[in-house]
Amino acid sequence: MSAGTTAPAIDVENLSIRYGSITAVGSVSFSASPGEQLTLLGPSGCGKTSTLRAVAGLERPTSGAIRIGGRTMFDSDKGINLPAEQRGLSMVFQSYAIWPHMTVFENAAYGLRVRNESGTALKEKVHHALDLVKMGPYADRNASQLSGGQQQRVALARACAFSPTVLLFDEPLSNLDAKLRSEMRIELRELQRRLRVTSLYVTHDLEEALAMSDQIVVMRAGDIEQRGTPGEIYNYPRTAFVADFVGSSNLVQGQRLTEVSDKARIVITTDSGNVLHGVSQGRTPHERPTLSLRAVHLALSPNRPDVPVNVWAVTIKRVVFLGDISQVHVDWGGRELVIRQTALTDYVAGQSVFLSIAPEHCILLEAD
Amino acid sequence: MATDATGMPTEIAPQRLKSLQMISMAATVGVVTLFVLYPVYYLLQASFDVGGADIRPPTAYGLDNYAALTNYQAIIVNTLVVTFAATIMALTFGFLTAWILTRTNVPFQRTLEQLMVVPYYVTPLLGALAWSFLGAPESGFINQLWRHFGGEAALIDITSPMGIAWVMALFEGSVAFVMIGAVMKSMDPSLEEASQVIGGSRVRTMMRVTLPLVAPGVLGAAIFVFAEMLGSFSAALVLGTPARFYVITTAIYQLVSQYPPRMPLAAAMGVSLFAVMFLMLYAYRRITAHRSYVTISGKAFRPRVMDVGWLRWVLFAVCASYVLLSVVIPVATLIYASVQKLAVAFPLASNFTLDNFRQALSLNAVRDAMTNSIVLGLVTATLGVIITGLLAWIIQRSRLPGRGLLEYVVMFPQAVPRLVFAFGMMWAWLVFPIPIYGTFWVLLIAYLTVFMPLGVRTISSVIMQLDRSLDECGQVCGASWAYRLQTITVPLLRPGLLAAWLLIFVASVRELGASILLMGPNSKVMTPAIVEAWFSSSSELTAAMALIQTAVIAITMTIFYLLTRRSAQQEV
Repeated sequence: MSAGTTAPAIDVENLSIRYGSITAVGSVSFSASPGEQLTLLGPSGCGKTSTLRAVAGLERPTSGAIRIGGRTMFDSDKGINLPAEQRGLSMVFQSYAIWPHMTVFENAAYGLRVRNESGTALKEKVHHALDLVKMGPYADRNASQLSGGQQQRVALARACAFSPTVLLFDEPLSNLDAKLRSEMRIELRELQRRLRVTSLYVTHDLEEALAMSDQIVVMRAGDIEQRGTPGEIYNYPRTAFVADFVGSSNLVQGQRLTEVSDKARIVITTDSGNVLHGVSQGRTPHERPTLSLRAVHLALSPNRPDVPVNVWAVTIKRVVFLGDISQVHVDWGGRELVIRQTALTDYVAGQSVFLSIAPEHCILLEAD
Repeated sequence: MATDATGMPTEIAPQRLKSLQMISMAATVGVVTLFVLYPVYYLLQASFDVGGADIRPPTAYGLDNYAALTNYQAIIVNTLVVTFAATIMALTFGFLTAWILTRTNVPFQRTLEQLMVVPYYVTPLLGALAWSFLGAPESGFINQLWRHFGGEAALIDITSPMGIAWVMALFEGSVAFVMIGAVMKSMDPSLEEASQVIGGSRVRTMMRVTLPLVAPGVLGAAIFVFAEMLGSFSAALVLGTPARFYVITTAIYQLVSQYPPRMPLAAAMGVSLFAVMFLMLYAYRRITAHRSYVTISGKAFRPRVMDVGWLRWVLFAVCASYVLLSVVIPVATLIYASVQKLAVAFPLASNFTLDNFRQALSLNAVRDAMTNSIVLGLVTATLGVIITGLLAWIIQRSRLPGRGLLEYVVMFPQAVPRLVFAFGMMWAWLVFPIPIYGTFWVLLIAYLTVFMPLGVRTISSVIMQLDRSLDECGQVCGASWAYRLQTITVPLLRPGLLAAWLLIFVASVRELGASILLMGPNSKVMTPAIVEAWFSSSSELTAAMALIQTAVIAITMTIFYLLTRRSAQQEV
């Protein structure tokens, strides 16, 4: 985009997918510049996989346009719909789709064979791809004898072997166990940087999306809810849905105190009378605005902290030990707030403590 | 790079490729629809024909033929008596053996389970011939022994309605076993354990949990078996016809083959039978498709096995005697009868002969029928696998509009007894502009049509187990439809395709209902020839012929098994 002449690597415009009377994907538009990793994030059934499959050519959209590297793949107005095999893309499937009747080598070589490559050139490229995912020694293995993690790697090698410019990922890590998943996350990100391949990634896993993306598109019920960098999405959720889906968040609704609020700052009073200061993020509040308070941004201390606003005396209701962190539930004017902290302070239920939060961490949300 | 390779005039190419795929699909759909619906149309037309005999197309239409069916109440009663009795017996065999083999610690469980499907391959015709040797009122071996030891008249009469039902049930029992066994196997044992853990007694668990859970499956099996029995033909033909005892299928055959034939009446009977079977199979589909009882949880488990103590040997005897009655005794009887000049219960050295085999193998008619059957079987199986494979793929995977309807058309012949279907074909191909009536071609078309559901079902079940993304991945990799078919689809479907080939081959070689009406003087096939021999020459010769046919099928299956196993080993 910066160079003016470069077309976006993936450009989706007003795409909608309907099955009969059900709209799976509303009208969505997004684009990824070359080399960028764009993630579609959302709960199951939000239309993210349908969108990805439409880009791949496996699903026929109802209307809109899809362009890859400036080439039109689908355009409902012009009646263009290239079949998947002519889009020149590559994809990693959720189920890996490793062909059990072929060897690891033959699996990885498939895209090259389709492109009429053979001999030493083919061998070199396949071995290069397998080495990239550390599966080189397994080349002659039968694909049916691989473990889940190994299948995942072979699927990746197969997708990369013919040097595609655009890679699609359909929840590729969802079938791996937690430890392997966090390893593969980093490896995938590294690989994607090294190959400078544009990728469109679909996941319902927040951490995965945050760790791997340049740009995140949060989807809900077929529509785009918010788009931005991982930092923007996490720190400044636009709606209650994003705040809730992206990490654990406390949503606090109250009456706006107009006399103390200004353009940047917002102050509300809850039904129980607690006064909460927050930031409006340039959003216009309505009558009863909602603020999002991340569980990790709330702080507990035995003594009253020395801050002017957003300090309350609260009673601890419950402490849940989760290993890396502890989750503390407190009673805050008749409602419960959840605090997540790493500190090893020994709080117990019934204890009286002070709760505080910096106003810049209380984010005004737009109405749903 | 990749985009360069595909940077061809892509706006034109996809149209061409797409159309290649579309043409092959459309052609298949067209041919199949013609094969299935064309005969059905003629069958319906004939059933409403009230014009003069032998004038075609009909000069007048009406319901007279259907009204005339009321004159055949005896046949309807016969049919119902035999079918009900046979269904109850078959379900009893099936339920008992399924329960014993899936839920108790019966010894040799795995061997017995494998043996339980053998009766299906033995066929009712073979069984009927053998049981006729055993239980005919006068000459039956059992009755000879009975009288020898001082009994009066006949101990059993296999030509009675109950006798016919007995023979039918013995062979349908293995179908019931497979269906009920599948239901019992798929039941999650934790459903029963949950009842026991919260204090339900064994009996209570059985009554309140186990039985309600398997009930839909058993009901489904009952309807399916009943429908199959309604349309079955060979046992009633061999055992009932000589004593002028007719059920609806043998009555239709009688009306068609007598002189003068009464075609419209036979057609009306056929249509009525088909309507009843269609409704029953529809009910069966509804019951099994909308099974609200989710017993299959996707987890791997083994049904809970009950320790029955010493009773396990009794249960073993129950299963073993079923196999004995349906397989071992019939085959042994036929072998014993075929090596005698005149089949009697007590062996005599002077009565021993191999002439029956010599005669069966030297008779030109028999040799021709055998060759014809094998050639037809090979061609039917090979073409059938290609056609049904394509159909199964279209039904399961394509986005072709109307593929749901196609599934109904394809499965249609299953609801029509083969004899009735062949009757429609006979009528249809008589007027067909290309003269194929009475040739191999009409038999080939008949076999391909009536065995279509068998092939489609077998291959579909394998396709359904295949992850869709295996094909989609090839597509995204840039492979064309034809290339994917060759490198991904066909190799992955291999087990299903081979199984379908074998099933269609075996079914073709022993086919009776369709062949008996459609074969011409120059296109005789084996099973009708066996029936003909039974009625017109010696029963000992017939036994030899039936054994030769069985041997041919067994040898083919063995060769096939060895070949496929070897090629499978080479691949690994």
